Amino acid sequence: MAKIERAQKLFLKALKTKFEGDVADTKTGYYNFGDLKQSARKKEFIEASKKAELRRGLSMYDPYRCHLGGLPMGQRQLMTYEVSGTGTFVEGDDLHFVNNPAMQQMWDDIRRTIIVNMDLAHSTLQKRLGKEITPETINEYLHILNHAMPGGAVVQEHMVETHPSVVDDCYVKVFTGDSELADQLEKQFVLDVNKLFPAKQAEQLNAAVGKSLWQAIHIPTIVSRTCDGGTTSRWSAMQIGMSFITAYRMCAGEAAVADLSFAAKHAGVIQMANHLPARRARGPNEPGGIMFGHFSDMIQGNRKYPNDPAKASLEVVGAGCMLFDQIWLGSYMSGGVGFTQYATAAYTDNILDEFTYYGMDYIKDKYKVDWKACTPNDKVKPTQEVVNDIAGEVTLNAMEQYEQFPTMMEDHFGGSQRAGVIAAASGLSVGIATANSNAGLNGWYLSMLMHKEGWSRLGFFGYDLQDQCGSTNSLSVRPDEGCIGEYRGPNYPNYAMNVGHQGEYAAIVGSSHYTRNDGFCLSPMIKITFADPSLPFDFAEPRKEFAKGAIREFVACGERTLLMPAR
Amino acid sequence: MAYTPQYGPGQSVVAENRRKQMNPNVKLEKIRNVTDEDIVLILGHRAPGQAYPTAHPPLAEQGEPDCPIRKIVTPTDGAKAGDRVRYIQFADSVYNAPSQPYQRTYTEAYRYRGIDPGTLSGRQIVECRERDLEKISADLVNTNLFDPATTGIRGATVHGHSLRLAEDGMMFDMLQRCVLEGGTVKYVKDQIGTPLDKKVEIGKPMDAAWLKANTTMFHTLVGTSYRSDAEYIEYIQRIHSLRTKYGFMPVE
Repeated sequence: MAKIERAQKLFLKALKTKFEGDVADTKTGYYNFGDLKQSARKKEFIEASKKAELRRGLSMYDPYRCHLGGLPMGQRQLMTYEVSGTGTFVEGDDLHFVNNPAMQQMWDDIRRTIIVNMDLAHSTLQKRLGKEITPETINEYLHILNHAMPGGAVVQEHMVETHPSVVDDCYVKVFTGDSELADQLEKQFVLDVNKLFPAKQAEQLNAAVGKSLWQAIHIPTIVSRTCDGGTTSRWSAMQIGMSFITAYRMCAGEAAVADLSFAAKHAGVIQMANHLPARRARGPNEPGGIMFGHFSDMIQGNRKYPNDPAKASLEVVGAGCMLFDQIWLGSYMSGGVGFTQYATAAYTDNILDEFTYYGMDYIKDKYKVDWKACTPNDKVKPTQEVVNDIAGEVTLNAMEQYEQFPTMMEDHFGGSQRAGVIAAASGLSVGIATANSNAGLNGWYLSMLMHKEGWSRLGFFGYDLQDQCGSTNSLSVRPDEGCIGEYRGPNYPNYAMNVGHQGEYAAIVGSSHYTRNDGFCLSPMIKITFADPSLPFDFAEPRKEFAKGAIREFVACGERTLLMPAR
Repeated sequence: MAYTPQYGPGQSVVAENRRKQMNPNVKLEKIRNVTDEDIVLILGHRAPGQAYPTAHPPLAEQGEPDCPIRKIVTPTDGAKAGDRVRYIQFADSVYNAPSQPYQRTYTEAYRYRGIDPGTLSGRQIVECRERDLEKISADLVNTNLFDPATTGIRGATVHGHSLRLAEDGMMFDMLQRCVLEGGTVKYVKDQIGTPLDKKVEIGKPMDAAWLKANTTMFHTLVGTSYRSDAEYIEYIQRIHSLRTKYGFMPVE
């Protein structure tokens, strides 16, 4: 390990914008900032609460009475945050998912998505019923399905239906690796892999999908919000069944319908997330069941930026911290509101970005990894020595940056924030250098041990559990002891309760593929499905989308304003 | 062969300070003399002179079962009397505070019995029986483990360890439990933030040179560089490598 020179400090703009005076000073003034009133958003909260109290006759947001018995926040400077990679400064409150419709839509778009194979159904129709399947019949079926999936009736008389304006985010497209078939289908229904992906990625994806035909289905946001992730496959399967009946003139009650239902509900289905055990009690398509390999396929940074695996990975960090820390652990599992403060550290102020690009400079300088070329050819063999060297150097550099810039240490005022960020940069650097996700995870755990010993502190209690035994399970793949990174997930043993980890782990997994310009990490179907430009949330730019949500420019789906009086 | 603790690797002053704090054979250096009564005031668990509230009857009176473990382990004074379990919690500034969270836990574990330490990034708590706690707290406050300006005694709202110091050198505390007056630090609130009837003096802040010489945290800007202690880093990497290898295949 040896420090290398890197003049560029990506975090400086944010620090200079956020803090007055020299960002390298160790002293400053406190207790004179005018408490909450320094924040426009907190003032807005107070005004909004007053109106709500008048309307409902019940007390509400009252920090001057309720925070610490009358001492409100803001005895130090209440900071804004630059969403990393966007140049947009936002208030911290606006990165809570309750206040940010883009964050809500990202999760909605995952939860309401299901991928269903068509080959099984076509086989049933052809072999069992003797029906002819042609591109024309498929096109007709897709027309019917895009009428039925949002809630239009297709078989029976005198049925209730859903209002198109509240379900216009619902639709179905298809994809295949068979270019000939794709060319014969109506363009409006086709996710064209060759147009959406860079050539090498498209080649891999087409080869992996082969001649199979898949439906990428997004049920209405409002449905998955009112019900749950387990609804997605059921809602979609019901409309698929009815559409097949209509499109192929089947008897509504004939036994072959059961085969179609079985294919649509079970045999041909790819859920976005596995169901969880009883102690966590969630159905499929809920965040805790998303495998890290699948999540790094959902996020599309590597498709848009195929020559910057660092950026592509950082987009996974941002999206993953939002979903796994803020929504999954923060609300589903714990019920807390404060998790946002932990999670945003990894995708604000370009701090993790700077540490990661230092790692890129280091692997190029020492190991001659041309990380922008994204080829498997120049990757480093993941020996323990290499992992220790890269993760060790990236960790030391990051710690030194926090020390040299006290305002950055103040920005990331919690140890959990710093630990997640430093270890993420270490893991990503190893993942990109070696193209091996478990080596990346191993780099993460070395970082945690070095961090803890250097500063005699790490994160909250959970870090004791997870990070101090992580070295031992990072290269074990025996059941109940370990797994390759792609198949780990938020419900993996030890990973199930600790904020500040899961988004980063997913990114480490992704980084080891992005660095090879792989078409996908774990599932080609999921990769293609989330490349869809019709989705309300742009999965290639999650951080930019979050920033748009924070400054109130993102338009989400599932709104009910059409159906009720305006407030 | 009897085990001889090594108390950690490293050749830097930070490493040496860590070993000295942990090693119970090294006497902690007494620097100030906060009285027992003032310690009780800062802790805020009982009023000075008030009898210790109890969680159970004294052990001698409650008919202990015939248990081999009870014969081996001598109860502490607080346990014998049936005291409540109470706490003291510290926030240690990253700017060369003499002790730091894990270091506190290790030190307490080596030096005291009947304790339950908890370690986080911005605070470290130790819980034990109340009369034992008061004795331990006197050690933790009156010795070289403590600096009045960069060490805070904070039960809740501990925010401050990583923030820049205030212009007077004090660590940020939104509750301002202690203030610097006439060069001396005085607690005006107990550790949980309840105002005290009288100010409790805990002494003058240690100067920058003393802090740098006595801290147990590496820091390139104000103290000792972690990178410069190659033995320390080599040792951690060795531990990590061994854990990795034996997790993968636990054989030689």
